[in-house]
Amino acid sequence: MSMSMSMSTMGTRVRRWIGHRWAVPTVSGTAILASFAVSRLAGATGWADALMIAAAVIAGTPVVVKAARALTVRVVGIDLLVSVAASGAVVIGNYWEAAAVTFLFAVGHALESATLAKTRSALAELIAVAPDVAVVLRAGEQVEVPAATVEVGEVVLVKSGTKVPVDGEVVAGSGAVDEASITGESIPAEKVEGDRVFAGTVSTGGFLQVRTTGAGADTTLARIIHRVEEAQDAKAPTQAFMDRFSAWYTPAIIVLAVVAGLVTRDVVLALTLLVIACPGALVISIPVSIVAGIGRGAKDGMLIKGGEFLETSARIDAVALDKTGTLTEGRPRLTDVVALRPGWGRADVLALAARAEAGSEHPLARPILEAAAAEGLAVPGLPEHTEPVAGKGIVATLDGRRVAVGNLALIAAERADHDLGGQVAETVAELAEAGRTPMVVAVDGDVVGVVAVADRVRPEAAEMVRRLRRVGVREVVMLTGDIEPVARAVASQVGIDQVRASLLPEAKLEAVAQLQREGRTVAMVGDGVNDAPALATADIGVAMGAAGSGVAIETADIALMKDDLLKLPAAVGLARRTVANMRQNITIALVTVAALVAGVLLGGVTMAIGMLVHELSVLLVIVNAMRLLRPAQPAEDRNPPQRPGQDADNASLRAAPTAA
Amino acid sequence: MNTTTALTTTVLRAEGFSCPSCVAKIEKRVGRLPGVDSVTVHFASARIEVRHDAALSDVDALIDAVAKAGYVARPAAF
Repeated sequence: MSMSMSMSTMGTRVRRWIGHRWAVPTVSGTAILASFAVSRLAGATGWADALMIAAAVIAGTPVVVKAARALTVRVVGIDLLVSVAASGAVVIGNYWEAAAVTFLFAVGHALESATLAKTRSALAELIAVAPDVAVVLRAGEQVEVPAATVEVGEVVLVKSGTKVPVDGEVVAGSGAVDEASITGESIPAEKVEGDRVFAGTVSTGGFLQVRTTGAGADTTLARIIHRVEEAQDAKAPTQAFMDRFSAWYTPAIIVLAVVAGLVTRDVVLALTLLVIACPGALVISIPVSIVAGIGRGAKDGMLIKGGEFLETSARIDAVALDKTGTLTEGRPRLTDVVALRPGWGRADVLALAARAEAGSEHPLARPILEAAAAEGLAVPGLPEHTEPVAGKGIVATLDGRRVAVGNLALIAAERADHDLGGQVAETVAELAEAGRTPMVVAVDGDVVGVVAVADRVRPEAAEMVRRLRRVGVREVVMLTGDIEPVARAVASQVGIDQVRASLLPEAKLEAVAQLQREGRTVAMVGDGVNDAPALATADIGVAMGAAGSGVAIETADIALMKDDLLKLPAAVGLARRTVANMRQNITIALVTVAALVAGVLLGGVTMAIGMLVHELSVLLVIVNAMRLLRPAQPAEDRNPPQRPGQDADNASLRAAPTAA
Repeated sequence: MNTTTALTTTVLRAEGFSCPSCVAKIEKRVGRLPGVDSVTVHFASARIEVRHDAALSDVDALIDAVAKAGYVARPAAF
């Protein structure tokens, strides 16, 4: 960068800085200093007064203009209070007070607008990642068009380092995409053909061709922005009260000041009351906390519906979790192969089971076939004949032999003597105990082995339960439609002690309602299909992995963009911090006003001091809210996710969580 | 509902909202423009939502009215 260029950028920056925010306070402050200098050094009181009045006029004119504008539309606001107080001070000859009040008000305003913008920064960042242009393939040519004008079905090109311009599906190419703007996850995700990508994410390498499924307002990013804005505007119950309060507060203060002035015949007292009663800190105390808290959440991929839901979330003391798809990955995988016949190895058993299941539509067939493929076992062709036995398993004819894969009842029926031997029953019982679904494999009635599948527990599930307890959730309950032994096995792995198994959707709803009758504030986490009634009944319905679902973003009380269980305790923690922050702010505001009123009535608080303290309280409230924008306390992450001595199954899952 | 005029909704994002009561000014200023059906000012997210007849008051007219109330606003893409 050349010297002249950096100088000119600096010049522009300085000019903008002065032109915008600080011009009025700077000039006005200089006049005040000059007035002091003239009066001290030269003793020229006339000049000193003139400079003070100039300072007051410079800082006060914008305030008076604003107050006049407000009055033309019949709004009585804080500007009017300050205008009347400053004008009054000039009229009665208190030039220093007039200058000080307007100067401090101007400084306070400049600081307020600078810092308040910061509390909105999370949303501003989201809007900033919205893509502007897209490179579309039209008739084989690359055409650059505004991102919002891309049609559904068109293919856009995403080069390394550019933003993904639309929501869509990768149809060719591969690459890494930073999805932090959507999910809060900063590690880039690998994208290959068939994967979904989102507008506003950034390609960090590779080259993708994406078929558009949504552009402009019909993208996940646009939905998130809308949700965040609506959430920030949705008023918390506490805030609705404050709004009603501030509507009559300002006029009431004017009346009070007039009455006080008439009764005491003390104009200074009346004017001072006007200044100190400015409601600034009070009216912004709640919005700043909510805007900062909800913005912070959005940045981390946690969308909270609004102030009311923040307040409710902060009270959550019971969490109900669906098992399948929430605590577990939601797709069964092969866990065990036990060979039970001399001469048969585990590969032989698995290969035979896979061949028998090759023609099956059953959900438990897929994990067996996948595992066989992963181990490189040949599964040639389809069985000559396949006969599913409802609720028991499958019987297939392979090379003229009858192969049965299924539960004990199915295999027993395959044998003339119905006797399977103790070892088979024992193996099946052991596997079932461990929460797996065992399937016995038999050839012409002779058992050769047992295979078992299970839905694997998510690696972070146990840590989530621990962190929920740490943020103050007293009851963690598993609600599942699955059978008791499987549910118990998963519950013991993740540290949940309350299990309700074999539940129909209505029974899940009833379980949530039961917790509520016991006085709990219940959050329910589910996949939103069979859990819908329970989600709607719970005080807070939580949707996970919502990035892929527009409906979830719009309807869930808390939408966690990423499929990451640890976001749940993080969201509860954030809600608690935000509500605590709100309370601190209300306290700061009320204590300040009370102290100032007492100060004025008892004497000692002048107009200038009143304005100074008032502006400080406003800034204190804003700065306090800004604390929410910092990343969550490291305390939440201090405990390592894995402790030595945990059960081996869990540990091995952590070691290879994505081995398919 | 109204078949003679076509109302559109325009969302403006504004800067420098620093006190909730000041935003009432915007509501009233913009609301007085011809063809404006309703104005909602959201303080927390600094948004102004206007339902208006673009033939009578276009987006620039809305931005001018907001400027007269003392705030800078620009139209939002979505």
